[in-house]
Amino acid sequence: MSQFALEVKSLTKKIGRKTIVDDVSFEVERGEIFGLLGPNGAGKTTIIRMIVSLINRTDGNVLVNGHDLDDSFTEAMNELGAIVENPEFYKYLSGYKNLRHYARMALSDITEDRLNEVTKLVGLEEAIHDKVRTYSLGMRQRLGVAQAILHKPSILILDEPTNGLDPQGIREFRDYLRLLASQGTSVLVSSHLLSEMQLMCDRFAIIEQGKLIHISNMHENESSEAKVLRTIEVEVSNSELAVKLLGEQMPEVKMASTEGARISLSIEKEQIPVVNKLFVENGIDVYEILNVKATLEDRFLEITNKDKKEQMV
Amino acid sequence: MIALIQNELMKIFGKMASWIYMVIIVLAVLVAGIIYMKFSADPNPNWRQDTQAEITMLENQMASASEEEKLMLQEQIDQTQEMLDKNINPTVKTNWHFMNDVVIGVSSLVTLFVVVVGSANVAAEFSDGTIKQLLIRPHRRWSILLSKYIAVIIYGLLLVLTLIVSGYLIGLVLFGSGDFNMKIFEVTLEGRKEAVVGTQFFLKMLYYIPSLLMIMTIAFMLSTLFKSQALAVGVGIFVLFFSSTLGGIILMLADKYTWAKFLIFPHLDLTVYALQERILEDITFPVSISILAVYYAIFMMVTFFFFQKRDISI
Ligand SMILES: Nc1ncnc2c1ncn2[C@@H]1O[C@H](COP(=O)(O)OP(=O)(O)OP(=O)(O)O)[C@@H](O)[C@H]1O
Ligand SMILES: [Mg+2]
Repeated sequence: MSQFALEVKSLTKKIGRKTIVDDVSFEVERGEIFGLLGPNGAGKTTIIRMIVSLINRTDGNVLVNGHDLDDSFTEAMNELGAIVENPEFYKYLSGYKNLRHYARMALSDITEDRLNEVTKLVGLEEAIHDKVRTYSLGMRQRLGVAQAILHKPSILILDEPTNGLDPQGIREFRDYLRLLASQGTSVLVSSHLLSEMQLMCDRFAIIEQGKLIHISNMHENESSEAKVLRTIEVEVSNSELAVKLLGEQMPEVKMASTEGARISLSIEKEQIPVVNKLFVENGIDVYEILNVKATLEDRFLEITNKDKKEQMV
Repeated sequence: MIALIQNELMKIFGKMASWIYMVIIVLAVLVAGIIYMKFSADPNPNWRQDTQAEITMLENQMASASEEEKLMLQEQIDQTQEMLDKNINPTVKTNWHFMNDVVIGVSSLVTLFVVVVGSANVAAEFSDGTIKQLLIRPHRRWSILLSKYIAVIIYGLLLVLTLIVSGYLIGLVLFGSGDFNMKIFEVTLEGRKEAVVGTQFFLKMLYYIPSLLMIMTIAFMLSTLFKSQALAVGVGIFVLFFSSTLGGIILMLADKYTWAKFLIFPHLDLTVYALQERILEDITFPVSISILAVYYAIFMMVTFFFFQKRDISI
């Protein structure tokens, strides 16, 4: 057993003179949910296609559970399960036959029990013998997961897995990935939605224009959250007076915007009660203090914008 | 490998169309049988007298014929006499005659369906997007493609078997059981040829298999290279129905241009070798089959090489 479920080393893809993926390296640890975040066209799908060897690598290595794709292709492929973009099935066959089909292709023997177990896990017992043609998108997505985990891979690779799922479906899916991860299966998941990455991943890499520009660790972010400035929104009875008071007494507080009775502030956590006290003591009624979470979206944009600026210089 | 082939067979037979093609073949044989029964002369039990009478009539014509005509008439008389000598009834119809004359013609339909199923088997994986799910398994690409190829061959052989069995049974019902070893005359470009009816049928079948394999391989190659079933089927049908015409034209050119002999078309239909020794002075069965083998090797190499290398980005 290797330390990492997946190692990607200086992965590069060139098509013609265009470099679509440029020297991307990262590792996914055991039981970790790792994200690839990037805007449309960043190269996420291309990275994933190279990892699952659907397309040739121009350069770089991929190791799945320590098996190099170049040296031990079948061993490496047996350690991964994937859904690349939308899961596609043989629609004229039943869900069960589709699973049987993929089960036969695994190196190890996949028993009837295992098939039933997986079917149950993804909650498709009722429909498993119906033709896939009759499945809803959510059901297909679940069947997609079933075919990917059938052979107990070390790493599950999912490209935009929540595409087309409703909020309920997305939540189920997320819980489901957590469950798998807790059982030791690593997950590599791509998305262009930061909020989704935030909720789903332990760590995620930001990909832009084919380059890996940053790896974020969700746990670090949360623990350091207290020290960073946060944005709060305060609804008061007299916003003019409030603004004036703040300017006079607490000049270190940055005022982001004022909109009617609501003012937005950039502030440290410890200062929130101080501001509240200030208002109340001066006869301003405070109706609501809203913590507008410093989202990773902002940080994401910050990072990417900073990068662009550097490029332009 | 067995598991992969099993998968491909499951996909082929999971489609209703694959079964319908099988039924169509049986129906085609049935229709052909009914037409054969209705529109060809009934067996004549007095054929010996009638044939004798024909000879007498021809001999009478001889008396008043010119030298040139005499030669022709004499030849006719000899051939007719031979039937009497060898006791070959030209009007007899049994299930074996039906097989040899008619059922063999339905084989074009088999080729057509094998082309359709074979090219769909590959092209649909691309058009449905299932190819990406198929190729992320612990199997080399060439072995996955080979399993498809073998499965299509198995389907093809099954259709051939359907053709033979349904031909035999329908023949049995419509024309009655015949003697496998009955002698017949086949009319060929090289004159009449004496043959055994059953053997002759299986000989034609045997010669048919390589051309089935060739046309199937061409369609398989095209659908792998261009991911398009329409293209593969189109070219397959073209080759199937025009190769003999094209082959004929090419053979006429072969006098002038030696290279024309090495084009694939004149060699695709090997069943002619069941009737004649050669299609050109220097082109006999071994020559044709060798030329086909070279084409076959090239087609297979191209197919597997490109499939192994290609980027799957659908
Ligand atoms: N076969 C190809 N030939 C040329 N360019 C390509 C090819 N495939 C992808 N690209 C380009 O590579 C870039 C990355 O594409 P990719 O599909 O990997 O992006 P992505 O990050 O998955 O985007 P999305 O969020 O839209 O799915 C795009 O600009 C795309 O135009
Ligand atoms: Mg993508």
